[in-house]
Amino acid sequence: MQRPRDSAADLKALQAAFGRTVRSVTADDADLQLLAGSDEVTRFGEQIDVYRNNAWQFFLTALERTYPVTQRRVGADFFRQLARDYRVQHPSQRGDLHWIGAAFPAWLASRMAGTGYEWLADLARLEWACEASVAAARHDPVGLESLRRFDADVLPHLVLMLQPSLQLVASPYPIWSVWQSNQHEEAPSPVDLDTGAEHCVVACVAERVAVYRLDEPDHRLLRHLCAGMSLAAASENAATDAATLGRLLGWAFGEGLVVQVVRATPA
Amino acid sequence: MRAGIGLRSQHHEAILSTASLPAWLEAHTENYFHAGGPAVRALERARSRYPLSLHGVGLGLGSADPIDRRHLECVRDAVRRFEPGLVSEHACWGHVDGEHFNDLLPLPYTEEAVEHLAARVREVQDFLGRQILIENLSAYVTFASSQLSEGEFLAAVVERSGCGLLLDVNNAYVNASNLGLDLDAFFGALPRHAIREIHLAGHARRRVGSRELLIDDHGSAVCDGVWALYEDVLRRFGAVPTLIEWDNDVPPLATLLAEATRADQRLERCSAAAA
Repeated sequence: MQRPRDSAADLKALQAAFGRTVRSVTADDADLQLLAGSDEVTRFGEQIDVYRNNAWQFFLTALERTYPVTQRRVGADFFRQLARDYRVQHPSQRGDLHWIGAAFPAWLASRMAGTGYEWLADLARLEWACEASVAAARHDPVGLESLRRFDADVLPHLVLMLQPSLQLVASPYPIWSVWQSNQHEEAPSPVDLDTGAEHCVVACVAERVAVYRLDEPDHRLLRHLCAGMSLAAASENAATDAATLGRLLGWAFGEGLVVQVVRATPA
Repeated sequence: MRAGIGLRSQHHEAILSTASLPAWLEAHTENYFHAGGPAVRALERARSRYPLSLHGVGLGLGSADPIDRRHLECVRDAVRRFEPGLVSEHACWGHVDGEHFNDLLPLPYTEEAVEHLAARVREVQDFLGRQILIENLSAYVTFASSQLSEGEFLAAVVERSGCGLLLDVNNAYVNASNLGLDLDAFFGALPRHAIREIHLAGHARRRVGSRELLIDDHGSAVCDGVWALYEDVLRRFGAVPTLIEWDNDVPPLATLLAEATRADQRLERCSAAAA
């Protein structure tokens, strides 16, 4: 075996040159010289295109899988352009493709600001909530009867432990309606974007993503319950009445979203 | 000894009800990093029926930058959760300066790269508390700085890290076509005792620039040339657990099982000849 020629810095320099070449449309001559040597520059410059194409396709495919409705709404060509621009600012940071789209909604909000298409960023937030929900742990739900083991005077002090997959998304735009109308192969029915705000809950129940639309008071109350407040504290902070609480509890238990009921720890 | 197949999401349901059982399953480690989801649930159910190996594609062991500890912890958690018989990674790098390319990128075959990869393999084995296998890559470029052959490179990494080898016969075939790899010298350099798994897969032909390359796309049946090379590998190394990989344009489960049967027939002939 020959004496080592490279230092540790050489491996890093080679990988950095390779990375720059894969990232860019055209290769830098100095990088190609470092990678291929003078005799093989032309062939190397052509064949590294396999890696350039792979890196882009893996990135694009991961984004398309996470944001199918956003892609459908903007069209495949414009989505591809968005993906290229997003990748420049947010290249993949993990070896797990799941995370490629994590910063996309916030990036899209910045990109769409002032264009009249701000709702697209909220739609993307809803799709990222679906992605996060699928990846979350599942726990066996408990039913409404779990409240019966507590005395009536304790009920206001109870805290609901909710499914880890539960995600809340609110928007001034009808994003639930847009998402819902794009869940089938056939052309989506048009959604009037002036119909106003929608408040969504995403959860995974029985291995299927469910996206619910709640009234604003229910959504506000659920947000406080998700924060770990007792039933009484959540109602007070959300400024909602007993009827709202009763309705929300019936829905949450009925959908299998409550996994445990515990008594609030005294402050 | 019988062949296994790669578990893909398209077959999550069918694999639990098929009458023609594969001998074992291999799953991509990164698909099972999360606490929940249908893939995790499916693997939990499949694990109760089949021996399993976990095959990582995202760790980028040979990257000059530090190992992504979050990723490594996820690998460890998946290994603890699913208790696979084999754990494998690739002899590759994948990230530099904070950017991941989510691909299996080739290393230069240098003494420095041997030392670096062997150190990384030892780090991972220490962290996981078990031996891992590393797989030879399909590659489309070679580096001017390479001083060793691919076989010498892998043998040196095995010697210095104590890892095993996952020998991908299709990758060797692709490298012979694309890069002029001397297959006889390649197989001759590999330490027989270290080869603990074999991969078989399909490849595509694609024009890239002025040349037609074989692209290791795992999107078709194993070609006749790779079957012939597999027979040669079995004659050299004896019967080794073999896996059919098919990741793109995934066919019905029955097609994968038929491919596994073709590998079984060759494994049986190899075992009979050795008896």
